Amino acid sequence: MNALIFYILAGAATASTALAVSRREPVHAIIYLIASFFSLSLIFYMMGAPLIAALEVIIYAGAIMVLFLFIIMMLEMGSPRPRQGPFWRVWGPAVSLSAVILGCSLSLFFTGLKDAPAPGPGFISPRAFGSALYTHHMLAVEVVSLLLLFALVGALYLGRRE
Amino acid sequence: MVPLTHIMALAGVLFFLGAICVVVRRNVLFILIGVEIMLNAAGLTFVAASLRWGAPEGQIFVLFLMAMAASEVSVGLALVVYAHRRKKSVDVDDFNEMKD
Amino acid sequence: MTSYVPYILLLPIAGAAFNILAGRALPRRAVEAVAVFAVFGSCVFAVMALYGMTGPVDVMLFDWISFGSFTAPFTARLDAISATMAVMVTGVSTLIHIYSVGYMADDDGYVRFFALMNLFVFSMLTLVLAGNLPLMYLGWEGVGFCSYGLIGFWYQDTEKATAGRKAFIVTRVGDVAFGVAVIWLYQLTGQTAIAAINQSAQVIPAATVTAIGLLLLFGATGKSAQLPLTVWLPDAMAGPTPVSALIHAATMVTAGVYLLMRMYPLISLSGTAMAAIAAVGALTAFYAATSALGQTDIKRVLAYSTISQIGYMVMGVGAGAVAGPLFHLFSHAFFKALLFLGAGYVIKAMHEEQDIFKMGGLMYRTPLVFVCFLSGALALAAVPGTSGFFSKDEILSAAFNNGSAFYTCIWAIGELTAFITTVYALRLVYLVFTGESKKTPAHVSGLMDYTLIPLALLSLAGGAINAPESWGGGTKLSEALISQGLAPRQFEGGSFGLQALAVLITVAGFATVHYLYAVNPKLREDMAARQAGLMAFLKDGWGLDRLYHAAFVAPYTAASRFLWRDFDEGLIDDSLDNLALATAKVGTWMRSSVTGRMSTYLVSVFLGAAALLAFFAIR
Repeated sequence: MNALIFYILAGAATASTALAVSRREPVHAIIYLIASFFSLSLIFYMMGAPLIAALEVIIYAGAIMVLFLFIIMMLEMGSPRPRQGPFWRVWGPAVSLSAVILGCSLSLFFTGLKDAPAPGPGFISPRAFGSALYTHHMLAVEVVSLLLLFALVGALYLGRRE
Repeated sequence: MVPLTHIMALAGVLFFLGAICVVVRRNVLFILIGVEIMLNAAGLTFVAASLRWGAPEGQIFVLFLMAMAASEVSVGLALVVYAHRRKKSVDVDDFNEMKD
Repeated sequence: MTSYVPYILLLPIAGAAFNILAGRALPRRAVEAVAVFAVFGSCVFAVMALYGMTGPVDVMLFDWISFGSFTAPFTARLDAISATMAVMVTGVSTLIHIYSVGYMADDDGYVRFFALMNLFVFSMLTLVLAGNLPLMYLGWEGVGFCSYGLIGFWYQDTEKATAGRKAFIVTRVGDVAFGVAVIWLYQLTGQTAIAAINQSAQVIPAATVTAIGLLLLFGATGKSAQLPLTVWLPDAMAGPTPVSALIHAATMVTAGVYLLMRMYPLISLSGTAMAAIAAVGALTAFYAATSALGQTDIKRVLAYSTISQIGYMVMGVGAGAVAGPLFHLFSHAFFKALLFLGAGYVIKAMHEEQDIFKMGGLMYRTPLVFVCFLSGALALAAVPGTSGFFSKDEILSAAFNNGSAFYTCIWAIGELTAFITTVYALRLVYLVFTGESKKTPAHVSGLMDYTLIPLALLSLAGGAINAPESWGGGTKLSEALISQGLAPRQFEGGSFGLQALAVLITVAGFATVHYLYAVNPKLREDMAARQAGLMAFLKDGWGLDRLYHAAFVAPYTAASRFLWRDFDEGLIDDSLDNLALATAKVGTWMRSSVTGRMSTYLVSVFLGAAALLAFFAIR
């Protein structure tokens, strides 16, 4: 049962990501992407990582994508002119490189992890997650918060009015 | 449940789609979107691995990943705004002053 | 007596050195006087040495090469051959030097001229008097160099300079053979001295003797302009006429024959070599005589005539005689030098015109030159009583009396050539001196005709050196040679049968020429006009020059051009350039990836990622 749901969600995620990649309007792409993130979040929950599932929706779909929308609407850009050149010149490098990456990744996964047992019905509760985070990885938390500070300062500086 | 390889395959496919988006699209925003997709795919990998071994570290790393993605997006978009103010364009090929 | 010998050699080289070092600072007369008196003094000493000679003697002047067992001291060997040759060389040179004073009166390069002439005389004397083969080779090369310098004397004219180069290079081909023979003889006998080699010639195996004989023959053909190396001599006429007279009539071209005569005891051991020598001589004589018949330039007629007469001398050596060729060498020196000097006078008188068909009628304008020139021509045509008659007769007797059918053929070719010789010699006289005169002769220096007189006398009366018994002479030259073991005791010349035949041939030739050129004047005009067919072939020297050009020069030039342009410049030179250009091109190509465009950089990032993943996947 779970497997079936997983595959449905996987298909949805892939389809919406593919649609997001190929849209002409950025806003449409963002919407499809949000759909993709929702699917992924459900997958996370199904696998047993509820906190991450929630965070995915809150941070990724909620904050980052909204930020994108803000910028898109603020900038009032037109659509850029389409890429000139013959089809294979436009899509060739991308498709071939990505095919290589996909092929290699899949081959690595399927040979290296063949005999790995499936993720069990393991479930990591938020409590366990939080205690591991704030005890073993406290330093990392501090560092990441610094990272956020830098990003904040940078964004403020770059975005200032002359 | 689902075998680990299938989840990894899904992550791979999503990564591949993000890579295509980065390489093909000329709009800077789409490039940043593609980066986001790739980061997300990587996060899926981490979660799957953490649940396979039952260790919370994978998910902790996903949290950091999201934090990093957020900061990267904010700075990146600030740059886009800045560049757009200067050149009135979001076509990545227009910013070619670094050639010799 | 032996004390005179060093002076024979010393005076010319001192004269040359003096003129080279101090000539420009001195007045013209001083330079000329030094040159003339140097050679004259050498002649005096040579005469004294000849008359004081009692037997072969070696005079060592200083130690030249001494390297382990290979010793070649600077030794002058005085015997019948070398002493008489030295007298002839210095005597004729003196007359020619005096003539040159008049001939070169208008030329500004006189210092160089007289220095080279003196140096040439020194080299020739070294060659003649050499007691060992390396020293002879030194003189051999010396005369080659001076010949190059004198033929190309007016080097500003490219053609003349090329003629000098051609002479040097063609003779060089023969010199290689001579050099090989010298070294081989040293390796075989351990000796370098000529007398020693000749004495120990018996120990050398027969096949080797033949090989060495052929090598020496080839060396001789180079210097003496015999087939196959005749082509340089007609072109060498580009030099001043005194040079042609000295070098290409009397001295240098006889060096080849001289070598063969010197090495006669060695060469005569091989019948094959002797036959080859005789064949080369006879064929060359015939070839050159016919070519002389077709020439229109007065000097070229004489050049081919020289080749032909030297062919006679070579033929004589091949037939087994030494005294006969030597005698012919002397008489040829006299009459050919005379003819050349006379030709020089005629050329100057005709305002530098050299085409005989444009001359005529000088008989009455320049009677002295006419008489002298005629004497030379009569000696060349072997008119009975002249020196040429006796010497040619000795050579032909040697061939006739040799017995085998081969030598009888040689003799027949020799008689046929004698007829042709008479024809071309008298043709020259008729065309230049008889008929109506076309131009008024210019004034020519007095020195130039008075020096002809001694030579004319020698041409006519020089037969006395070696006149045969049947005419009352004492064959002094032959006796001298035979007594010193330098020539084989053989047949006597002067049999009436052969001499009668010779007279017949001469008369027939005279009649032919008289008919063609005197009785039928219109024929002369026709011949001047008709340059096609047989006459053109003969004038071209049977196309030998063109053959060599096509067979050797053209492929060599093509190969050189290929090596220069395509290999040296194209491959080696350009390869370095192309290396640089290729590097630049690679750089430019690599630079094209730096477009400044983001899309390019993103692609390259993913290229790297793909490569890395592929590496891990495949591994």
